[in-house]
Amino acid sequence: MMNGMMQNGDRSRLLHRIQAEDFALYEVVLYLDAYPTNQKALAFYEEHKRLLAALKEEYHQKYGPLTVYDNRNTSEWDWVKGPWPWEKEAN
Amino acid sequence: MWMYDKKLQYPVKIKNPNANFAKIIISQLGGPDGELAASMRYLHQRYSMPYDKVVGILTDVGTEELAHLEMIAAILYQLTKGLSPEEIKKAGMDIYFVDHTAGLYPVSAAGVPFDMKYVGVKGDVLADLNEDLAAEQKARVTYDNILRMVDDPDVRDPIKYLRQRELVHYQRFGDAIRIAQDQLDSRNFYAINPSFDR
Repeated sequence: MMNGMMQNGDRSRLLHRIQAEDFALYEVVLYLDAYPTNQKALAFYEEHKRLLAALKEEYHQKYGPLTVYDNRNTSEWDWVKGPWPWEKEAN
Repeated sequence: MWMYDKKLQYPVKIKNPNANFAKIIISQLGGPDGELAASMRYLHQRYSMPYDKVVGILTDVGTEELAHLEMIAAILYQLTKGLSPEEIKKAGMDIYFVDHTAGLYPVSAAGVPFDMKYVGVKGDVLADLNEDLAAEQKARVTYDNILRMVDDPDVRDPIKYLRQRELVHYQRFGDAIRIAQDQLDSRNFYAINPSFDR
């Protein structure tokens, strides 16, 4: 087990990659609402949806669930473990 | 339905608490052009919107505004964490503290509690979408004003992100109004006849 600081650095880095992918995806979601047949946007959506899913799965395995449907620990409900997103330590 | 994602849309990591900054930034929580008003505006305008694409834009922009509401809350939470009563008093935040302690209560910078009167839901396509275009610009101006008064890069960074999102939302509402106007016929060429009994 790495020390807490190191682990938080790794968690933070992975979270930032998730936030970046999520941003790319949500940006094209808003665009697709207005241009639902734009093939370039649809391909971008597919690509980033895949990338985001892979990063999120890694996060759920290592650091706990991002939604109530992603709890991977069968012996404990990790959802209620902090820090919560508004805390400095979570970012 | 909505589902909670246990992360901020963009990181907020503020090293130095500062009640003076919190006092003005709170307007984007509960003020006239804040994120609570934004989310309530779009999410309630959806139901009377006759065009699917525009309903999509209202739903997804409205949902993103809830994420922005949480980012503003995170900024305020971190800016006020661990402040002493003396620091709160010195910043003039004592008039908020007396009622809410360090809890986050949506008010404007002038202390007026959040009010749905800030939000227009006219039930008319053109009236509502023009309201939304103006709302995005007003929110952008408020962020510009915050950036004029806040010099801490830890605070400016997420505020700049939120400001940029207003620009993108303005573009999407520009698309929305074009979609709506494409549906208007010759009788409504000037986009002034009501959508309700069209």
